Amino acid sequence: MSDEIKVIKTMDLKGLPCPQPVIKVSKGIKEIEVGQVLEAVTTDPGALSDFPAWARTSGNEILKTDQEPGLIRFLIKRMK
Amino acid sequence: MEKEKKEKLLALFRSKLDRPMRYYLDVCTRCGICRDACFAYASSPKAEYTPVWRAEVVRKIYKRNFKWIGKLFPFLGKSKEIDDDTMRQLYDAAYTCTGCRRCMMVCPFGIDTQAIQSIAKLLLIGNESAPEELSMLADASIEKGKNIDLYKASFVQGIKNLEKEVISKWKGESDQVIPLDVEGANILYVALAGAHSIIPTASILNAARENWTLSFFEAVNFGAFVGDPIKTQMIAKRIINEAIRLKVKEVTICECGTAYRVMKHLVGEQPFKVSHIAEVMARYLGEGRIRVERDRIKGLITYHDPCQSARNSGVIEEPRYVLHQLTSNFAEMTPNREYNICCGGGGGLVALENEPFREETGKAKVNQIRDTGATIVATGCENCHTQLKFLNDRYKTEVKVEFLTNLVANSLVLE
Repeated sequence: MSDEIKVIKTMDLKGLPCPQPVIKVSKGIKEIEVGQVLEAVTTDPGALSDFPAWARTSGNEILKTDQEPGLIRFLIKRMK
Repeated sequence: MEKEKKEKLLALFRSKLDRPMRYYLDVCTRCGICRDACFAYASSPKAEYTPVWRAEVVRKIYKRNFKWIGKLFPFLGKSKEIDDDTMRQLYDAAYTCTGCRRCMMVCPFGIDTQAIQSIAKLLLIGNESAPEELSMLADASIEKGKNIDLYKASFVQGIKNLEKEVISKWKGESDQVIPLDVEGANILYVALAGAHSIIPTASILNAARENWTLSFFEAVNFGAFVGDPIKTQMIAKRIINEAIRLKVKEVTICECGTAYRVMKHLVGEQPFKVSHIAEVMARYLGEGRIRVERDRIKGLITYHDPCQSARNSGVIEEPRYVLHQLTSNFAEMTPNREYNICCGGGGGLVALENEPFREETGKAKVNQIRDTGATIVATGCENCHTQLKFLNDRYKTEVKVEFLTNLVANSLVLE
């Protein structure tokens, strides 16, 4: 998954209760430069709608979403 | 502070001054009875951790700007102008208060500290110094409501991935394990984002052969936590509109205290019944629609009453009824029910992390739990669950924290 896109930071958000995954990602994205990519790994099924909604309101971009049973990986690009 | 900003903030303050609010601001005698009712002061006796101290920050502004004595003679009595220093004090007052309203229970005048802190929160929003995390989460929730079609497909896929676990608990067969978008369903169940909020309840609803459907939206209302009345209503409206569109008879809120209180008491009358999942489980057990094996769960169990669903919304006896079906080994905390002590995680505090404060002010709750001798503490609220687990880790209480729904789902007797 990460071969084509260079990931600068990976966040392990597995098992975190609502709303910690989105909060941690919103803080983590500020620790990378504009244009860089963060990988977030979560077990939260609600993240599939939470993360895109957060990205849309915060002006960041979700490049890719991969799902497997119990695990969801996002690649998120900081846009501003 | 610029004159324009100050006037904007005063206009916001004025917008909150209805008759009850003026009563709460005027009538306090500073007797201090509220002091010991506060979880924060009970854990760490500092003046700034008292309801009266927190309210005074707001009262001083009120006196200076809305009472003739404060306007004409600001040097008499205690009044304060709105400035940057005041805004910092307002932040500390608002976000060291969970809005549990235990102080209101003991106040001889029934002063609602949460209502007073709603002024503080609104001023922080006007000053653009409200907690960024809470505002961000509220905006993301509203975005989902505006553009749900953008997010539906991925949500549906995520839900599909949970179905195996639901079947393992429920052991039933159906085309719809976690039904979505079912028009005419009896119950619209509104969960949180986590699988733990969906899987056990889905198992229970299916075991009861309920005609139900899962909401596309999460129950939690970050607009309420940040104190924005417009965002609070917009977030609740997503669920209301979905319930009306699907023509459901009942909207059942998951284990989230504030979400339940908003939907039950703060959005006006709706063309559907509003229930807490604890009420629904109690109903199913009472009617024999589900059965549980008593004492399958081992250990002494106690129950933490979530402030928003219990004291502030009346869901008090139903969880106890459920627990008495689950176990013969139950111990009440002291005090309990509407007088139970706040865990210190509500009002958005868990989302803000602020771990040193949450650890410091959780001591009273930890002592309550320890005094029961329980090995399991059950509760019916996400924030409480997170906070109690956090306190367990920090204070090494060696108590397992469990959602009521999980206890029921794991005790189901299935044909």
